Amino acid sequence: MTPKQRIRAAIDHQQPDKLPIDFGSSFITGIHCSVVEQLRDHYKLEKRPVKICEPYQMLGEVEADLLDAMRLDVQPIFPQRTIFGFPNENWKPWTTPWGQQVLVSEHFKTTEDNKGNTYIYPQGDTSAPASGHMPKTSYFFDTIERIDPDFDEDELDLEDNLEEFGPMSKEEEAYWVEQSEIWRGSDRAISVHLNGTCLGDIALVPAPFLTNPKGVRGVADWYMLSADEPDFLKKLFDRQAEVALQNMAKLHQIAGDLIDVVVVCGTDFGTQNSLFCSVPSMRDIWLPRYKQINDWIHNNTNWRTFKHSCGAVEPLVDTFIDCGFDILNPVQCSADGMDPQGLKDNYGDRITFWGGGVNTQQTLPFGTPEQVRREVLSRCEVFAPGGGFVFNAIHNVQAQTPIENVIAMIDAVHEFNGDK
Amino acid sequence: MTDSLNRLTAAIKTGKRKDARAATAEALDAGLPPQSVLDALTLGMNDVGKRFKANEIFVPEVLVAARAMQKSMDLLEPILIASGIEPEHTILIGTVEGDLHDIGKNLVMMMLKGANFKVVDLGVNVPAETFSQAIEQHQPDIVALSALLTTTMPAMESIVQHLNQSDAPVKIMVGGAPITKDFAEQIGADGFSPDAASAVELAQQLCA
Repeated sequence: MTPKQRIRAAIDHQQPDKLPIDFGSSFITGIHCSVVEQLRDHYKLEKRPVKICEPYQMLGEVEADLLDAMRLDVQPIFPQRTIFGFPNENWKPWTTPWGQQVLVSEHFKTTEDNKGNTYIYPQGDTSAPASGHMPKTSYFFDTIERIDPDFDEDELDLEDNLEEFGPMSKEEEAYWVEQSEIWRGSDRAISVHLNGTCLGDIALVPAPFLTNPKGVRGVADWYMLSADEPDFLKKLFDRQAEVALQNMAKLHQIAGDLIDVVVVCGTDFGTQNSLFCSVPSMRDIWLPRYKQINDWIHNNTNWRTFKHSCGAVEPLVDTFIDCGFDILNPVQCSADGMDPQGLKDNYGDRITFWGGGVNTQQTLPFGTPEQVRREVLSRCEVFAPGGGFVFNAIHNVQAQTPIENVIAMIDAVHEFNGDK
Repeated sequence: MTDSLNRLTAAIKTGKRKDARAATAEALDAGLPPQSVLDALTLGMNDVGKRFKANEIFVPEVLVAARAMQKSMDLLEPILIASGIEPEHTILIGTVEGDLHDIGKNLVMMMLKGANFKVVDLGVNVPAETFSQAIEQHQPDIVALSALLTTTMPAMESIVQHLNQSDAPVKIMVGGAPITKDFAEQIGADGFSPDAASAVELAQQLCA
């Protein structure tokens, strides 16, 4: 099987020849740039600075030589613009606060305060208020909540929260045409993030890509909407879905079935031990809009749909299936109720688990290589039979993860595949 | 209990901020003792905490309840201060150096306020020295530390060590997504709580 066939078999619940592996195909299955650099060294690849494909979490691009070395099955086509609203183009060197030389877009504009904190600007516009902040001792940016001084919680205006959802720009259209030409014929599965289909992803609510966001942009204010303004959310998501359907039609017209997997939404519905909203709320506010998006995709394309949600979401897995999602990520097995065998037994023939391979909060960063190996082999044994599983860690591989543990994880999957 | 106090408790439970403010104003205008208004408010938040812990309500419902509580406190607090009614216990709270995440920390803070703790919020990205200075200034019973990232767990450890080396008679409690009971014990914290409602119970135990 080619990697593409392997991924498609797995998602369609057929037994692939080998367990497929993904690292770096999306912004929730990626690797921190500091770890990408160490992986390149480990595999003795050409020494060159890592490209920052996603500046918010400082994810490093897993380029073709590293995909080959790690024997990975998925090739991403990244969005035309980053979360900070600029295109990744005309790379320039940048030294991170931890001293790593990386490559960033020419539009990656930062300032530093006298305490060594770094600030990044929306659309590379330093005349706008900074929209991201990386403390001196951190390895990631976090968004800055820029609350409109005229914001009034009693007078919500839907249009304020719709600014970022519009028809595909000519620039983006040209980008997809170019990318489709580059990647047509790839034997790896192709994964893309859809634009505008994230319904309330909390990382996007503060709109770090807009120079002057209006509306509900505070994290707490946003969460409160589902409790006391559900109709506002429903109307907003209806409008989002309406625009998204047009943009998906355009994307399909350009890229067609070159694309295998579309990341639809990264909204987290779970905490470590509970949900962010009740199951009835999720079914009332989110399900109909997700279903509209997924149904369009299944009726008009050969794409498979990917839903990310961290946390203890076992009570929602049936709902994700009812929404029409084909794939669930990151399968946080350490959260309450997310027992691997239970998930496989109860849902494994109806949704594909993309993730769940190793705990990135405990085992991968703090365990021994042997503990990592054993956990990975155990997860593969539970999740892999009959397809319905793509190996990935639980969320991105974080900074400061020991490289020997990352290698132990990859080697364990190859060992499971009989390739070691 | 009077009708206005009943309505205040109900408004907190359901997160109706305007009702909470109106009921508080009515109770205070009627000359009810400020302590009774505070008790009605605490009763509502206590119920919110219990239902949150039992997974009957979720983060959004806790946030709207806390917002309703704040609307009530805006009216009540000056009167409590004027009457010399102060919380018995003080807690310093902050997200550790290098970490900017505060949803969890803020939930804990709201629940503690709802249980009538005085809470001093040091914000996010807080270094050890800032905690030390604030301990000197506020003389808290407890210091509460939060971290969301695996990369800032070492900062939590070093802050706990720093505080344990000082003479300040404070208890330390920790929490956050990657934090476990084992980790809390290993770094020398006095307690760990997995959620905001349990944090209140832990704080009450540590102050007992």
